[in-house]
Amino acid sequence: MGVTALLVFVGFGAVVISLFRWQIVRGEELSAAALDQSLHSTTLTAMRGTIYDATGTRILAKSASVWTVVLEPVYIYDKESKRRLISSGLAKILDMDEEEIYEKAGQKGSYFTYLKRRVESDVKDEITAFLDENDIDSGVRLITDYKRYYPYGTVASTVLGFTGSDGQGLGGLELQYDNELKGTAGRMISAKNALSTDMPFEYEQLIGAQNGYDLVLTIDETVQSTLEKYLEQGIEQYKVTNGAVAIMMNVNNGEILGLAVKGDYDPNDPFTVYDEEQRKAISLLPEAQQDQAYSDALNKQWRNKAVSDTYYPGSVYKMCVGAMGLEEGVLPENYSFTCTGNMAVEGVTGGIDCWKHAGHGTESFHDGLCNSCNPFFIRVGQLLGPSTFAKYREAFGFTEQTGIDLPGESWSIYHSEEDLGPAELATESFGQNFSITPVQMITACAAVANGGYLVTPHVVNRIVDENGNIVKKMDTGYRRQVISGKTSEAISQILYDNAASGTANGGYVMGYRVCGKTGTSEKIAKWNEDRSKPMEYIASYCGFAPVEDPEYALLVFFDEPQGKENGGLTGGNAVAGPIFSAMMEELLPYLGVEAQYTDEEYEALDLTAPSVVGLTLAEAWKQLDELGVSYSVIGDESEDSILVTEQIPKTGEKVPRGGKVVLYTNGFSEEETLVEVPDFIGMDLANASYTALLSGVQVSANGAGATAGGSANIQSIAPGTKVKQGTVIVITFVEDIQTDTFVYLD
Amino acid sequence: MARTSEGVARGLRRVPAYAPPTGEQPAPPTGRAERKRPENGRRKKIKYSLFALGSGLDLPLFVFLIVLLAIGLVMLFSASYAYCYYYYGNSYFFIARQAGFAAVGVVLMLLVSTFDYHQFHKFAHLVFGIAVLLLLIVLVLGKLMGGVTPLVRPKNDVYRWINLGVEFQPTEIAKFAVVLLFAHMISQRADQMKTFRYGFLPFMGVLALLVVLIMPEPHVSATIIVCLIGIIMMFIGGSSTKWFIIFGGIAVVGVAAVVMFSGKFDYAMDRIYGWLDPFHPPEGVDTWQTTQSLYAIGSGGLLGVGLGQSRQKYLYLPEPQNDFIFAIICEELGMVGALVIIILFGLLIWRGVYVSVHAKDKFGMMLGLGITFQVGIQAVLNICVVTNTIPNTGISLPFFSYGGTALMMLLMEMGVLLNISRSSNVEKT
Repeated sequence: MGVTALLVFVGFGAVVISLFRWQIVRGEELSAAALDQSLHSTTLTAMRGTIYDATGTRILAKSASVWTVVLEPVYIYDKESKRRLISSGLAKILDMDEEEIYEKAGQKGSYFTYLKRRVESDVKDEITAFLDENDIDSGVRLITDYKRYYPYGTVASTVLGFTGSDGQGLGGLELQYDNELKGTAGRMISAKNALSTDMPFEYEQLIGAQNGYDLVLTIDETVQSTLEKYLEQGIEQYKVTNGAVAIMMNVNNGEILGLAVKGDYDPNDPFTVYDEEQRKAISLLPEAQQDQAYSDALNKQWRNKAVSDTYYPGSVYKMCVGAMGLEEGVLPENYSFTCTGNMAVEGVTGGIDCWKHAGHGTESFHDGLCNSCNPFFIRVGQLLGPSTFAKYREAFGFTEQTGIDLPGESWSIYHSEEDLGPAELATESFGQNFSITPVQMITACAAVANGGYLVTPHVVNRIVDENGNIVKKMDTGYRRQVISGKTSEAISQILYDNAASGTANGGYVMGYRVCGKTGTSEKIAKWNEDRSKPMEYIASYCGFAPVEDPEYALLVFFDEPQGKENGGLTGGNAVAGPIFSAMMEELLPYLGVEAQYTDEEYEALDLTAPSVVGLTLAEAWKQLDELGVSYSVIGDESEDSILVTEQIPKTGEKVPRGGKVVLYTNGFSEEETLVEVPDFIGMDLANASYTALLSGVQVSANGAGATAGGSANIQSIAPGTKVKQGTVIVITFVEDIQTDTFVYLD
Repeated sequence: MARTSEGVARGLRRVPAYAPPTGEQPAPPTGRAERKRPENGRRKKIKYSLFALGSGLDLPLFVFLIVLLAIGLVMLFSASYAYCYYYYGNSYFFIARQAGFAAVGVVLMLLVSTFDYHQFHKFAHLVFGIAVLLLLIVLVLGKLMGGVTPLVRPKNDVYRWINLGVEFQPTEIAKFAVVLLFAHMISQRADQMKTFRYGFLPFMGVLALLVVLIMPEPHVSATIIVCLIGIIMMFIGGSSTKWFIIFGGIAVVGVAAVVMFSGKFDYAMDRIYGWLDPFHPPEGVDTWQTTQSLYAIGSGGLLGVGLGQSRQKYLYLPEPQNDFIFAIICEELGMVGALVIIILFGLLIWRGVYVSVHAKDKFGMMLGLGITFQVGIQAVLNICVVTNTIPNTGISLPFFSYGGTALMMLLMEMGVLLNISRSSNVEKT
């Protein structure tokens, strides 16, 4: 009896102690662990917000549902036939290697392994059908996910950025506004049994996903596309090797209507190198270097040169220095200065040359700016002195970031007030020897144009929620007034003259009172690295319109045009000017700026095509006669009463003075009405008109170079394009004026 | 409860019932009339009609085991219904079968309780022979021939079951066979138990034979239980302690040597590490069942999550209706409920021992103790496994774990115990 009592006591005693240990002492910990394994929290992905352009109707980026296929090996790793069945089935549907899936399905104890991410709905349906057919209820899961689409492809890609594999913003606005766009993921917490199917007890909690906010940009897709179209033309035309930038800004509120960077990519597939030559070069590299080169190339194409790269603004900067001079009163109305072609500057051996080595002679401030005379602006700098110069430089925002809502904005590089010696002051006065970003330049230009107010450039107009309620409206106020309205007006007037007939006449647009300033910057630093190579340039043109009430500023910037290959064009007026002109010519009417013509201009002005479609031939002829426009007919014209079915140019489009309207009736083949656009580049106006006549198209001349004997630089429709007979092609003519200055400081 | 001097004469006279201290008059009228007054009539009926041979069975023992059986069935239902739902599509699948076996088992128990246990003297060798035969069948048809016949089929790669329409484990019979045989042998050799030749060697031979038959199945837990029962019975039966010490020492050294030199040392050590820290087991050691069991126990806390509310039974704890049913009990009923059940087991064992010790002869005592210890050892070892007090090995919990034939066997053994109680010298209530 004693032995048995002892045994019972020891046995049950041990049991009770154990129970106490697990239930009472470690109860909470274990119960939490048990709950943890039975409560499955499913993340409900929030839908990323949409990005609209300024019109609010065109979608630049949006997310759509896709599915991620996930394996749950823990339920199949030891079930040979099921594992095989799933592997072969999914391999077929997903176009994957069966053995690879089979291997993945064999990871003992793994609850989750990615098979394929972001498959479209039709693939998902196939998988669901396959699972149903074979009665597979565990081992494979489909998780809702979203994929980012950029309907306009490369358009605005460097502004938009792109998203990574988890939907996180990796560049551009996607990164800058990631928190707003991404929304808040929801969670569904539910009790599951060990097979991960729902357990019939009541514990379930749902926290819905909060979808991301939408962005409405200040960027207008039309403006953006136009900028990009002409930038590409310019790159092609002037053999530009290091990319190009065009920024259009509303000078009054800082809204950026278009920000084009070329050498870009398609955000739908950002990890492809789009520069063919670069791609070739990479493939030729030794294997070991390819990854690095590939990643460098990607970073380069993702880079937003407009905010992340700095450059010497060159002569464009003179508009700001001129404004400083006027504002400070160091340039009285009757001020004059004599340019001898060279100016002695303390610390610079041999002084600094003017781009015109013969010198400009005695000139007023107006002429000095229009001539883009370097010695004149060196003198303005000297008159201001380092401290005033530095003060305005800061006021114009050249020493701080602009605060644009894009990631990676670079800081400018300049000489501090203390370091601003005579040589530094002299070179900075005409825009060399310090570096700023293109966005800083156009912001300062906007201040010159708008009455002196420094605005904050931005690309997002407002943030709205799913229901269209405005969550945040961007501040469009100005930061400070830099110069007076009077100074602003005076400079604008000079720049208007400059664009019309000065060194910046490459940017002239008939009827639209464009103000402009060219810039040609040497890439000294690059040249210093290897002086055996020729100097590379950045050709830029910065201007705004219309002069009496400036609304839109535009900066065009080409990095390294190859003069050797494009006929010697490296200057701002010759390279960036025509592009600026072509862009303004197309965009200012779109933006609702009304044309006003001088008498002289009016003479050369194009007419507007009336609407004659639906009229009989007789009525159409009568109407066109009244306008003084000639015409031709394609198709049946045997009777006067035949109806016009189509007209080229279309209603409202321009008809060149002396041009015609082509009327289409019926009974012709579509094929015979098409003609090929000839290559006008390099021709003067007369030659171009003649070529057009032979080809069955019409020419509308643009740019100051048209009358001044300049050559065709840009054409609105690319050579070789098939167009209808009578189509009007806008050709921008430009005079080659080289204003670059070589400054070399020891 | 005190031993009374009056219960000595076997089966002739009942110990008078304890009279309630009320002034109520004992009712003398005829049986017919008494039926209308159950308070007074019930007792007589139990005495004279339900329990035959003119002698009552031990009511506390009977009550304890019926209560345990009832709780066992309820908990089996709770523990098994999720499993049945998912694997059989019918939550009642196990409980219906188990309840059926329990009902038949209780009837058989009562029948067996009327069968004079002295008759078992004659069957001791026969039962043992049958057990050995069945074990041989399992071993030969299963392990050696790879389960070619439908009679012996593997479950989870081990051969333990014989299928004769209903499945059963010969080891269950072997356990009773050992108890019976040892009780028989000890009662026959009461004077020679101290000797090595009569009181130790034959017993060890029997155990060795069973070890050889059961170990290869493999069925370590059954081997341990059979040996433990046998050794405890020998010990109580009077075998000399020194032989135990000597043989124990040899056995320990032998087992250690086998483990050390059979290349299984690392595996054994890994198993031990897995046991010491089941939440961070060495690679290759599967402690899933143990950790899930501990999760269940821990989740229960003091008062439990409530009957039927277990989460761990939702397929986390593998086969919650079998060896790990106690974990579900702990989860649902908490420490309090678990203690109640442990106490019930304790009471059952106490009463079983009490009855056995007061049996009127050595055979009855040894037989009763053997049966009681079988239940006790299984219950304690089972709970020890469930609470990870000892390493995981498959031991079912008597009255609770699913297994119809095993339950039936158990109830029949309880019948034997009850029969012993009928004649044992205890106060019957």
